Amino acid sequence: MSGRCRMTTRREFLQSALASSAVVSMGGAAPSLFGKLASAETRGDGRVLVVVQLTGGNDGLNTLIPFRDPEYRKARPKLAIPSDRVLKIDEALGFHPSLGGVAGLLEEGRFAVVPAVGYDGPNRSHFESMDIWHTCMRKTAPRRDGWIGRYLDSAKASGSGDLPAIHLGPEQQPLALAAQTLRVPSIASIDRFRLQDGDDTYDRVKQLVESPRESATGLLDFVQSSATSALNASRKLEEIARNAPGAAGYPSTGLAEKLATVAKLIGAELPTRVYYVMLDGFDTHSQQAAAHAGLLDQWSGAIGAFFRHLSDLGHADRVLLLSFSEFGRRVFENASEGTDHGAAAPVWLAGPAVSAGVHGEPPDLTKLVEGDIPHSVDFRQVYATILERWLNTPSQELLGGTFEPIDFLRRA
Amino acid sequence: MAFDWQTIDPEWSWSEYAPRGEAPWNAERASHLLRRAGFAAGPDTVRRAAELSPKEVIDGLFADPPDDEPFERESRDLSGAVLATGDAKNLAPWWFHRMLHSPQPLREKATLFWHGHFATSADKVNDGQLMFEQNALLREHALGDFTAMVQGISRDPAMLIYLDSATNRKSHPNENYAREVMELFCLGEGNYTEQDVRQVARCFTGWEVRRKKFRFNAYQFDSGEKTILGETAAFTGEDAVRRILEEPASPRFIARKLVRFFVRDEPDAPDTLLEPLAEQLRNDNMRVGGALRRIFASRLFFSAHAAAQKVRSPVELLVGLLRALDGSANVRVLADASDQLGQAVFRPPSVKGWDGGRAWINSATLLGRANSVRRLLNDENTRFGRGGLVELARRFDQSEPSRFVRWLATLLLAVPLPSDVERQLVRLAERGEQETNFREVLYSMATLPEFQLA
Repeated sequence: MSGRCRMTTRREFLQSALASSAVVSMGGAAPSLFGKLASAETRGDGRVLVVVQLTGGNDGLNTLIPFRDPEYRKARPKLAIPSDRVLKIDEALGFHPSLGGVAGLLEEGRFAVVPAVGYDGPNRSHFESMDIWHTCMRKTAPRRDGWIGRYLDSAKASGSGDLPAIHLGPEQQPLALAAQTLRVPSIASIDRFRLQDGDDTYDRVKQLVESPRESATGLLDFVQSSATSALNASRKLEEIARNAPGAAGYPSTGLAEKLATVAKLIGAELPTRVYYVMLDGFDTHSQQAAAHAGLLDQWSGAIGAFFRHLSDLGHADRVLLLSFSEFGRRVFENASEGTDHGAAAPVWLAGPAVSAGVHGEPPDLTKLVEGDIPHSVDFRQVYATILERWLNTPSQELLGGTFEPIDFLRRA
Repeated sequence: MAFDWQTIDPEWSWSEYAPRGEAPWNAERASHLLRRAGFAAGPDTVRRAAELSPKEVIDGLFADPPDDEPFERESRDLSGAVLATGDAKNLAPWWFHRMLHSPQPLREKATLFWHGHFATSADKVNDGQLMFEQNALLREHALGDFTAMVQGISRDPAMLIYLDSATNRKSHPNENYAREVMELFCLGEGNYTEQDVRQVARCFTGWEVRRKKFRFNAYQFDSGEKTILGETAAFTGEDAVRRILEEPASPRFIARKLVRFFVRDEPDAPDTLLEPLAEQLRNDNMRVGGALRRIFASRLFFSAHAAAQKVRSPVELLVGLLRALDGSANVRVLADASDQLGQAVFRPPSVKGWDGGRAWINSATLLGRANSVRRLLNDENTRFGRGGLVELARRFDQSEPSRFVRWLATLLLAVPLPSDVERQLVRLAERGEQETNFREVLYSMATLPEFQLA
């Protein structure tokens, strides 16, 4: 392990010890003090990005529906949503009937959509395309980190303790969060995120993990720094879980449970800038209708409840939510009443900061490329907007190029 | 200095390791081989292996035991009981029993490798019998014929159900299996076009699952000409698989995955390094046994470029901890623990299987690893040797605290124990009643960053 790394670990440890002792000593009054600590440390006025990844390739066309377009009905003889069931946004577009929660947010001026987002030379492999969205790099380039990880690395000078971002969920950590110098924790559930033993064990394990190593290979160094950050983070979250009030009004779904926890952590004013959760199951090759409706219902219901909760906590203004999928699906349905892998799809944004509505033209279904919707906006334009205008960070270096922002955020 | 494959000579890498002064054949190297080509081995087995030559040990790993081997009978009885319950969830404990006790650990390890390669999840297939049959298919060919394995998996009901390909009609070919057979099973992304996906999909039309069996429905088969990877003919599904496996990318793709799984996590080996293995696979008509033997007998495998250069998977962590100490445990506890740590066997997270390497490690899984070891050590069914750790250590005359710590480290770790850590562990071993303390030392050693590597 190099000296530089050890210093970082030590500093992170001190910060976390400071942060958690503040919570312990202040009891119920902790959040506001913690809040000052956080905003003094962060550049973005305590602003938070919450990413909800829709894994598997969401059928954008049946989510944001061009309900008047005869081409849509032609391509989807079995799967088209009848016009009278679509939740209409304007004369051309509407939401899938399961998206009541999201439609409500739009009415409140808290929801925005960019209709056809993708990239040149779309890749139809789930994994490859997801990696492209996560890293902003094609396969030929070395992918050492993700776009959020690079942001965290760049913002590190201002200090973010050992919880710069949190991935909440049992899945493997998304590559988007991979950073060079920081370790982002993945937390399946806060209750299980601790050593199931007394303080003696914790102290002993910590001492053993942090004992100096004479020489460490890349992997050993990686495991050691990950273990150090795990032990620190578990202590801190344990304190917060003990102090945070419960959450009500969420549907009983996995995604809702995750977002309820995220809201609690935001409410506790952790210095965490990015929260990442996933909803899997969008790879609807067969019998799509019911499965897709269920997923959209879960997504929309959880996001609606999340922002109600945040408003109650008085923290909604700090939060921007981004939701995306690795690709959309083919315009034409297949023989199994499903859809195969496609190209461009909508990207969704929610929060009081958004400029509500549809940002861009609906896709022209008479102008498909190999049976797919071509993109009108590059996904890195979405990232650039978030980095520049929400997180106040220059985006060029992080994204590997200059990308024109989209006006989906209200100007302050 | 950072590792760089470009500095590694391919010819040197795959030439045969011969014990020498600076690279002796000893317990350490025997342990390394038995960990990688299996799930680690107990003190007796390691000692015996160190007394044989590397070649003799490798021959033993590949040897087929007789069918009436008591372990196989026991496993068959267990599988009968598991399948009678009809619940696919009971398959994972059954497989853990095999990985923990099989006299052919290499075959089990390779079966686990192919399960990650041809990943299929019982969550979707929802049928224990079909998952069991797929597992048997993978085990049968695990050290043998890759072509037969791909042909078998292409008509494997569990796989077809998993990839939504249980029906595949001429009018609307389903592209899912066609894509995965090239992207994930045979060639790797970038070695085929979208056009190839559509054409291969036509070859598999009429391939169906009816009443849990594969069926070819000639009426739904598209018998027209197709162009696959630049060649045009009225290909069938079997032809498509054959044609795909003729691509030079195919043996390279398999060699790369074998090296990543058995030799070194990262970075991925470049083509030049893989070429000798790929050539061997080609010459062996895609039979994998020869290439695997070559890997295990190689200089690269026994060098510092391979030792401790892999992150233990949850299965390797749990089964390895027990096998290294002649242990046994409640296999249900093992299967649950592995699931919580991110490796639910029979339920991989996606068709891509498990990424492995660094992806196993994050804050939650590291805390989870420690908690799983604790749970295992507290479980009344967990045994070492014939009873406790103290008894096992005494049998090998290693129960004095400082010897015990050093002995445990040689059995469990692929890297030396840092001296500071060793001192702390000896102090722990010296406290009070022995079995409790020895288990506490084992817990502490299993939570070390060093133990997470293999």
